[in-house]
Amino acid sequence: MTRPVDVLLAATRFETDEHHPHIVIDPVACRTCPSDRACATSCPAQRYAWDDAADVMSFDHVGCLECGSCRLVCDRLRTGAPGYSWDYPAAGAGVSYRQG
Amino acid sequence: MDEEVFDAIVVGGGFAGLAATYRLAQAGRSVLLVERGATCGSKNLTGGRLYTYALQALLGDDWREAPLQRRVTREIISLLTEQDAVNIDTTLGSAPEESYTVLATPLLEWLAARCEEAGAMVVTATTVEGLLVRDGVVRGVKAGEDELEARVVIDCEGINPLLLERAGLIRPLDPHAVAVGAKYVYRYGSGEEVDRIFGVRPGEGAAVLGMGAVTRGVFGGVFCYSNADSVSLGLVLDSVAWKESGHSLLDTAEALHEHPAIGRYVAGGELVEYGAHLVYEGGYDTLPELSGAGWLVCGDAAGLCLNRGFTIRGMDYAVMSGIAAADAVTGALDAAAGTGPLGAAALSGYRERLEAGLLRDFRATRGAHDWMAATTDLFTVYPQLAVDAMTGLYHVGPEPLTPVASTLWRAARQIKKPVRTARTLLKGVRTL
Repeated sequence: MTRPVDVLLAATRFETDEHHPHIVIDPVACRTCPSDRACATSCPAQRYAWDDAADVMSFDHVGCLECGSCRLVCDRLRTGAPGYSWDYPAAGAGVSYRQG
Repeated sequence: MDEEVFDAIVVGGGFAGLAATYRLAQAGRSVLLVERGATCGSKNLTGGRLYTYALQALLGDDWREAPLQRRVTREIISLLTEQDAVNIDTTLGSAPEESYTVLATPLLEWLAARCEEAGAMVVTATTVEGLLVRDGVVRGVKAGEDELEARVVIDCEGINPLLLERAGLIRPLDPHAVAVGAKYVYRYGSGEEVDRIFGVRPGEGAAVLGMGAVTRGVFGGVFCYSNADSVSLGLVLDSVAWKESGHSLLDTAEALHEHPAIGRYVAGGELVEYGAHLVYEGGYDTLPELSGAGWLVCGDAAGLCLNRGFTIRGMDYAVMSGIAAADAVTGALDAAAGTGPLGAAALSGYRERLEAGLLRDFRATRGAHDWMAATTDLFTVYPQLAVDAMTGLYHVGPEPLTPVASTLWRAARQIKKPVRTARTLLKGVRTL
């Protein structure tokens, strides 16, 4: 029994800034990933998924738990390579824990 | 631009930031706390256990008014194989009120209200985008259109210290020093259901620490805490080893629910939150710079979290570092002539306070993290041995019985290199 991640994330509150992703990647440049695409397995919210058909990385900042795991396992996010950045969401946006 | 210069600006309304803010406000200092979440606590996630000495140090006896969950009276260490478990179970009801299970969000909201009552200014839903640095001295923070100035900035931004990293003031977070955690909270209709699940008396609580097959051979563990009317369940895994394992973190967390010894704690509960957080566990030798000209760093941002395998402590150290920072700043403000920013030398008292305080724990456990990360037998061989020994002792069938000594000897023989194993364990015990 592995529930779809959307079922889990539906229990958590988000105040998403739809138009301004706080994490930016280059889905095409991810083709030459030097990090074994560890984001796809390490992200606790499964926001990253390798799309075999399109040969790109898909990423959705909506539902991001802001833990920072991808910032560590992805060499490009960690070093701030061109096309890659990791920031805090602006002005109260993003995950909003009620239990913590 | 606002001409006001605060005595201190605190970045981040978690345990460290609120402790520093409360302490400074109580000392009569002008202090502004800037929190990026909609409320203090809304960006915070904890496994769920807080040691009360830290709250006592911050609040005195008022800590009893804080919204805590349950006093921990039962400690359970669970050695897990794929399907089985051997538990070391205790009832320590006679123990003093040393620790409580907690949910971070309501507790931090409560602490933020105490800070405002004490005279601090708390601004939420405001993300600090950078530090104001002039001539190598931190003089305040940038948030949107505003530049806010202070004589010192106390950085409590959490486990991802973007501000300090980008200003080049501390070394970037090292993946080898970090674990990743995922956590579920399940709510029940009443506290009585939680009493029943954990076999505790009303108001009393249990803390479960599980190690073994659930982390698929990687350094890490499972935690489970009884809250007032909910249960926290989660998994913590060494970041680099997990990356190398190639397993899905979410699938592994979900598999916990299938484990007979773990899933029973949350069966029938309603999932009310799923979250994730990094856990710093690098130890003393990986700690960053702790202060400099115009700034101090506390809590998770300073790496002040300690994993000894059977306990992970972070919130109490966050509170204690916030107190130490506030006291160091108060002392420096009292001693400083003029109204300018506090220099590096003036703030060096912070490190001294930490070295005489919580860093003693970090010095005493040097090497513990590396030992646990390298000793994967802890997560594979030893739980299996415990289960095999117990299974053998309690096996009854038609064949002639096996004497106890033979059962234990058979289990012990599975240790491949006994002398080396004994040496390794001894070394580990010294670091823990």
